[in-house]
Amino acid sequence: MAHDHENPQPQAKPTAPRIDLRFSSNALLLSGRQWVIAGIIFVSVLVLAPRTGERLENFHPPEDYRIPYDLSNDYWLFGRYARQAASHDRTLVVGDSVVWGQYVKPGETLSHCLGERGGEKRFANLGLDGAHPVALAGLLRYYAEGITRSRVLLHCNLLWTASKKHDLRSEKEFRFNHPTLAPQFVPSIPCYTEPYSRRLGFAVERQVPFFGWANHLRVAYLAGMDLPTWTMEHPAENPLTATRQPLVPAEEQPLHEPISWTARGITKQDFEWVDLETSLQWQFFRQSVEILRARNNKVFALLGPFNEHMLSDESLNTYAARKQMVEKWLRREEIPYAAPAALPSDLYADASHPLAEGYRLLARQLFENDAFTSFAARP
Amino acid sequence: MLFHTWTFAIFFAIVYPVYRAAKGTRFELPWLLAASYFFYGCWNPLYLLLIAYGTVMDYWIVVRMDRSGRKKWWIALSVVSNLGLLGFFKYARFAATNLNWLLAHLGLAYAVPVPDILLPVGISFFTFQSMSYILDCYRGHVERERSFLRYAVYVSLFTQLVAGPIERASNLLRQLRHDRRIAWEDVTDGLSLFLVGLFKKVALADYLALYVNKVYAAPAEFQAPALLLATFAFAWQIYFDFSGYTDMARGIARMMGLRLLFNFNNPYLADSLGDFWRRWHISLSTWFRDYVYIPLGGNRGGQFSTYRNMCLTMVISGLWHGAAWTFLIWGALHALGRVLTRELERSDFYRERVPRLAKQLGVFAFVTFAWIFFRAQSLDDAWLIVSRIFTSGLADPAFPMLALAMVLSIWVYEFLCESKARPLLERAPVRVTMAVALLVYVAVFPGGAAQKFIYFQF
Repeated sequence: MAHDHENPQPQAKPTAPRIDLRFSSNALLLSGRQWVIAGIIFVSVLVLAPRTGERLENFHPPEDYRIPYDLSNDYWLFGRYARQAASHDRTLVVGDSVVWGQYVKPGETLSHCLGERGGEKRFANLGLDGAHPVALAGLLRYYAEGITRSRVLLHCNLLWTASKKHDLRSEKEFRFNHPTLAPQFVPSIPCYTEPYSRRLGFAVERQVPFFGWANHLRVAYLAGMDLPTWTMEHPAENPLTATRQPLVPAEEQPLHEPISWTARGITKQDFEWVDLETSLQWQFFRQSVEILRARNNKVFALLGPFNEHMLSDESLNTYAARKQMVEKWLRREEIPYAAPAALPSDLYADASHPLAEGYRLLARQLFENDAFTSFAARP
Repeated sequence: MLFHTWTFAIFFAIVYPVYRAAKGTRFELPWLLAASYFFYGCWNPLYLLLIAYGTVMDYWIVVRMDRSGRKKWWIALSVVSNLGLLGFFKYARFAATNLNWLLAHLGLAYAVPVPDILLPVGISFFTFQSMSYILDCYRGHVERERSFLRYAVYVSLFTQLVAGPIERASNLLRQLRHDRRIAWEDVTDGLSLFLVGLFKKVALADYLALYVNKVYAAPAEFQAPALLLATFAFAWQIYFDFSGYTDMARGIARMMGLRLLFNFNNPYLADSLGDFWRRWHISLSTWFRDYVYIPLGGNRGGQFSTYRNMCLTMVISGLWHGAAWTFLIWGALHALGRVLTRELERSDFYRERVPRLAKQLGVFAFVTFAWIFFRAQSLDDAWLIVSRIFTSGLADPAFPMLALAMVLSIWVYEFLCESKARPLLERAPVRVTMAVALLVYVAVFPGGAAQKFIYFQF
C-alpha cells in the first residue's frame, strides 16, 4: 500500500490522494478540435476502407461461382458478388442451399442448368447455405442493396415451415443458421437467447458496411476467427500475410455424397407443418419479395419442387394446402411464379435438394413455363 | 451492464442528455440515483436491497453519531454493519470451508454448513466507499451530508460503483454538492479517457486473457516458457483490465463533470514496491493507508512496529481481494517484498549505484511472480506453476508474437511518457494518429462476446 505517502501526523485530514498528474497512464488527451479531426479521419476510414479493400482484393468469380461453404457467413462477399453479377445483367438466383446446390458440383446447380438453356453467364448462383427466409430477408435488406433493377429468381422452400423448429418458433433454445441476419428484437424469436448487448451489436454492425467488410476479413482470411484468436492458433505468423492469400475458392465437389434420399436410408416423414398465417418464415419470405420489389427488381418466385415422395399422406395433404396458399398470395401480389410438379423420387437427395439430374429437369420445366420465359427474356 | 457493450452505450445515450438537462435542478440527484440503481439492478435486482440497506444504515448512523456524545459506539456499529455484510457475502464460505478442514483434522465429526452465496458485484468497493465517509465524519474531516439523496448517489454512482475508484467524500460528495458547469473540455477529456480504457480492455486485456486462461486452466500441461509467459501476460492483462475499467469509469464521470480519483499511474515503471503501491490501485492503497495502516500506528513506533503494521495492512489487502489462501499469500508476499526492498533502499549502494532500469525490472519481476498466487485457481496450482517454472522443460510456448509486440510497445510508450520524450508524444498529430489507430483497431479486430472485468469478482 502507499505507506510512503503517510502523513507524519496520523490524525491529519485525509484528502483525495495527491497524485503527480504530470505522469498519467493516459497521455492521449485530445482537445475538441483534435477530436473533430480524429473523428473525420475515422469516418473516412470507415467509408473508404471497404471500397479500397474491394479494389485491392482479387475477386474474379467464374461463371458458376457460388459463395464457398466456409464463407457462408461472409455477407459482405455475398453483397459484392450480387452487385457484380447484377452489373453484368445476370439473373440472380437467390435462395438457400437448394439454390446453392449441396449435393451437386458448381456446374450442375440450378443456375448453371438455367444458363445452359437460356444462354451462358445469364444466371448467377446467389444461393447461401442455411439461408432460411428470415435470414434471407436480412441478407437482402442489409447486404444486397446493390441489387436494383435486376431480375431475381427467388426460391421459396416450404421446408422452413415444416415444424415449429424450422419456423424458429420453438420455445426451446437452439442455434439456428445466420442469427446475425435475423431480427434482433422485433418480431421476437423465442428460441433466440443471445444477450441483448450482442443483439444490439449485431443490429448496429449490419447497418455499417465497414463492419461487414471487417467481418469479411475475419471470415475470408482468418478462418472465421477474430484476430486475437487467429494469432493464438498461428502465434508466429504475421496476420498481414494472411490477408495477401487468395480468397478461398468455391468447392468443386458436392458438399455431400450425391445419392438419392432412399439410398441414404431416409424414410417417409410426417412433418408438423406450421400454419402459414402465423409462420415467421413465410412472413419473412414475403418481406424478401417486398424488399426486392421496393428496389425495382423484377422478381420471379420458384415454389419448390419439394420432395413430395418423402411425405406421409397426411403430411402431403397439408403441404398441398400450404402450397396453394402460397400460390394464391403470389397471384394476388401479381408476382410471376412457377410451382413445378415434384421431380421423380430418385432425383432428390433429401426433402428439398435435387440431385444434378433433378436440376436439369427443373431447368427444362422452367423454360417450358411462359411466366418464366417472359421473366427471363432480356428486354 | 459492462461499459464496453452496446447496452451501456444505449443506457448512457439516454442517461447523459437527461442528466445534462437536469444538472443544477432538483431533478439532478433523483435522476442520477435512478440511473445508478437501474445500472446496478441489471446484474441482479436483489443486489439493490443490499446497497439500499448499506446506504440507509450508514446515513442514519452518521446522523445519530452527529447528535450523540458516544461517537465510538456508533462508529463501532457502522464497522460491524459494513464488515458484517462484507464478511457474510464474501468470507462466510471461506471461513466455513476452513473451519470444516480444521475440525476434520482435529478428528471432530462435525461440520458447519458451507453457505452457497453469490458474491454481489462491487460489494467490496461500495462498502469501503461508504466506510470512508463514516470514518471521515467520525474524525471530523468531512461534514455530515444533510441530503440523503446526495449521499445515496455518492454510494451508488454508476460510473465507479462496481470496481472503483473507491471514492472519498472529500472528493466526490464535495463535487456533488457544488453545481459545476460541464465544460467542453470535460467532454473531450472524458472521451479520451474512455477510448484509452476501451482499447486497454477489448484490444489488450481480453486478448492476453486467451493465453492466460488456457495455461492457467491446466498448468500441468505446460512447461516453463509457457508458464512464464502466461504469468507475464497476466501481469499485463490485469493491469489493462483494471486500469481500462478505471479509465472508462473516469471518462464517463468526466463527461458528466465529475472528476473521479486517479487510480493507476504506469505501475510497471515503479522502481520500488512502495512506488508500485503508489501507482497501482491508488484509491485502495490510500484507503488502507488512511483507515488501516495509520490507525494501527503507521511508522510511529519504530522499525519493528512499522514493518508489523505494513505487513498486517498488506495481508488484509490481500484478503480484501478475495476469500482464498492464494490472495492471502499474495498479500503476504507483497508485505515481505515491501520489508525487504525498504531495507535494500537504506543502502547507499542500492540507492545510488543500481540503475533505475534495473530496479524497475526487478520490481516488475517480483510483482509478476506474486501475480501467480493471485491468478492461480488454487494454492496447489500456484505451487505447481512455481515448481514447473524451475523444473520443467523448454517447449515452445506458442505465445502470439502480436500480443508480445503490443505489450512491449505499450511498455516502451509508458517509459517514454516518463522521459524527456513526453512532449513528442503530446504533439497534436501524434495524439490524433494514435486515437484514430485505437478507434480502428477496436472497430476491426477484437471479436466475440464482451468479457467481464477481473475486478468485478472482488
